[in-house]
Amino acid sequence: MISGLTPFRWPASWKDPSALALLAGTPFDCLVCEAGAAPDPVLAQAKQKGLTIAGPASPPAGALIAEGVWPGVQMARGQAAASSGPTGNPWVDSNGWKIRLESARNPASRVWVDAKPKDGRALAASYPRAVADAAAYGGRWIVTLDDQLAGDIAQGKADALAVWKRIAGAARFFNDRKAWSGYAPAAVLGIVSDFSGDNEFLGQELLNLVARTNQQSGIILKDKVSASSFAGLRALIYADGKPPAASLRSQIMAFVQSGGTLITGPNWGPAPGTPASGQDQPGYAWRVAGKGRVAFAQEALGDPYALANEAVLIVSHRYDSVRFWNAGSAGSYFTAAPDGKRAVVHLLFYTDRGATSVTVRVAGNYRTGKLWTLDGPEPRPIEMDLQTDAVELHLPTVSQYAAAELEA
Amino acid sequence: MHGNYTRRDLLKAVSAGALLAGARLGRAAATPAEPVAIAKCKTYDPAELMPAMARMFDQIGGLGRIVKGKTVSVKINLTGAYTYRLGYAPLGDSHYTHPAVIAAAVSLMGKAGARRIRILESAWATTDPLDEYLLLAGMEPRDIERAAPNVEFENTNYLGKGKNYSRLMVPTGGYVYPGFDLNHAYEECDVFVSLSKMKEHATAGFTGTMKNCFGMAPVTIYGSNAGVDDPAIQPGGGRQPFHTGYRQPSKSAPQEKDMKSSRQDGYRVPRIVADLVSARPIHLAINDGVRTMTGGEGPWIREAEKVVNPGVIVAGTNPVNTDAVSMAVMGFDPMADRGTPPFETCDSTLRLAEDVGIGTRDLKRIEVAGAQIKDVLFDFAALRRERRARLPQGRWG
Repeated sequence: MISGLTPFRWPASWKDPSALALLAGTPFDCLVCEAGAAPDPVLAQAKQKGLTIAGPASPPAGALIAEGVWPGVQMARGQAAASSGPTGNPWVDSNGWKIRLESARNPASRVWVDAKPKDGRALAASYPRAVADAAAYGGRWIVTLDDQLAGDIAQGKADALAVWKRIAGAARFFNDRKAWSGYAPAAVLGIVSDFSGDNEFLGQELLNLVARTNQQSGIILKDKVSASSFAGLRALIYADGKPPAASLRSQIMAFVQSGGTLITGPNWGPAPGTPASGQDQPGYAWRVAGKGRVAFAQEALGDPYALANEAVLIVSHRYDSVRFWNAGSAGSYFTAAPDGKRAVVHLLFYTDRGATSVTVRVAGNYRTGKLWTLDGPEPRPIEMDLQTDAVELHLPTVSQYAAAELEA
Repeated sequence: MHGNYTRRDLLKAVSAGALLAGARLGRAAATPAEPVAIAKCKTYDPAELMPAMARMFDQIGGLGRIVKGKTVSVKINLTGAYTYRLGYAPLGDSHYTHPAVIAAAVSLMGKAGARRIRILESAWATTDPLDEYLLLAGMEPRDIERAAPNVEFENTNYLGKGKNYSRLMVPTGGYVYPGFDLNHAYEECDVFVSLSKMKEHATAGFTGTMKNCFGMAPVTIYGSNAGVDDPAIQPGGGRQPFHTGYRQPSKSAPQEKDMKSSRQDGYRVPRIVADLVSARPIHLAINDGVRTMTGGEGPWIREAEKVVNPGVIVAGTNPVNTDAVSMAVMGFDPMADRGTPPFETCDSTLRLAEDVGIGTRDLKRIEVAGAQIKDVLFDFAALRRERRARLPQGRWG
């Protein structure tokens, strides 16, 4: 049974049980307490109020805690400019891929992300983003206040209380939309791996870096492949160090035979299919098998950044599910209801100032939509430009998170 | 400095200026003047666009004589990163050459017998294939690819599909650079077409078919992240060294002629454009002004304001002539020089190109076919005056 609790890390500076009153009207019903952080009177009163008490290493049933990162554009300390990735794009930290991986591995648990404000201090705008960066992917952030904010809230300072209200509102927003957690990722590119042992670095970094491209990926644990695992995908990456077991090889090749694309390399073993011509991707030899094709790397797959970006090109941007304009550093998670007629596209904006005049192109024949944000209880209208097999959404000015709820 | 001039110095300066002006006048009189066609076209609907462009090409002597049996390279304008839109406007409506104009030009070239057509642009900071970059920009490359036989795309911001960079020298010696190392596709063609967007430009005043060629230079050699000795493998960043001269191109390429020359971007950029156009002559110049933007070359410019619909395309076989007519259509005087709109803080690329004999900017010498300038005038100059009167100077000064 997945935990429905909403975790809050009790600040060590809140020594007086009266601070529990700050939780009134918030969704926080589980206190995560570091050793010695909460005095016994606090714990006793918390229990009296029906709150659950947990520790960073002892989550309640139905939850698991994963170490995370403070989400946002990575800034080098003391520098005005954001740190950059290999292409010069600002580097974004997000917990989405880790939550999805741990959720796939532990489907009976909700993933709680343990990430404290970077350098002990966070901007007000970054708190709702931390909530959304976990909850959009089905997890929960253990709400953790920096010392200054915790102190200011306890003292009742208006600015701090406003931030506190926004954090609680963000957490409540996701709790109120439980149906969304039943939506499945609308993935284009599947990554097949055990994501552990010798494959941990490459597999996990692939998840992280494919997400940065905004290509929608599926996590496929190789010991849990079923008949439906590859449904809806255009391509698979198999980059684990050793060749796949016979049954997995057979399943993947069946996907290729029916029209899918396999991206792999010498790790696969002898190249499958027969040589093909007329296609071009530096570093890969093309082969065909049935209705599908294989992009077979000429050298061992080892660079996750290169592989993630090459894979997106091999699939082609033609099949991008989500594309942004004017969004700055943004992330997305495209999920669809089981009937396929409704979808929610989670949109995360990692710069603190939010985003203006953002256009989002979403693949699919969606004809109506509304935009949810953390700023109010009612959805906001979205201007929609309907196109063949896609819709462009023209967003109003948004802060750190928005969700486009679409219907066919 | 002025205070230290002697009368003799002054006379010398005046005489030199008079001589220079006289020389310019002489050269201007001799510079090529080819017909330029103007087409009214309010939309990118192919039903309106195709006949308008076909008629325009007929008016300048027909495409067949230019492209039949030839390999044609078409430099389009996809300036800046594809992620920027002016508001919500599609990129082809504001600052990128519209894909429908590219497709129409390709289709007409194919019908006129072009043997092979290469679509070229230096895509921002990536080695992605150009057709993939177009997809990212929200454009459909298949519409272009299928418009004629043997259509290819190449991203020219790096070595690309070539084995080596091609060295193209400036016949007149060059203002800033004596020559350039460019992607092979700029040399391996019989015909070179500049297919640009009609815009103002924050640095160069005006963007037309010549300024479009600024983007030919691969940033692996000419960019901020260019290799020091040899070209970088991956393109990254923009062409800031062209603007400010703070660093030199990779040593493998021809170096700047005079390191003591002005580092002001309004001095350098127009001259480098003239050098590029001299090194890689343009055989067909097409300026897309159906829909475009005001206030600059892209949404990132602080003065950038709005999408407008001038509803015009200008084409000719001489880029200076074509740009001169385009400027006039925009309400600017093509004979203007530094200090006069749109060249308030820069030199005129047109004047510099005219001075090296590429073509005249004098409208009196240019035959205009099709629509006349007064009939299609869309007064960017007035909009510029109005905007600058309204905006704080920090937005444009």
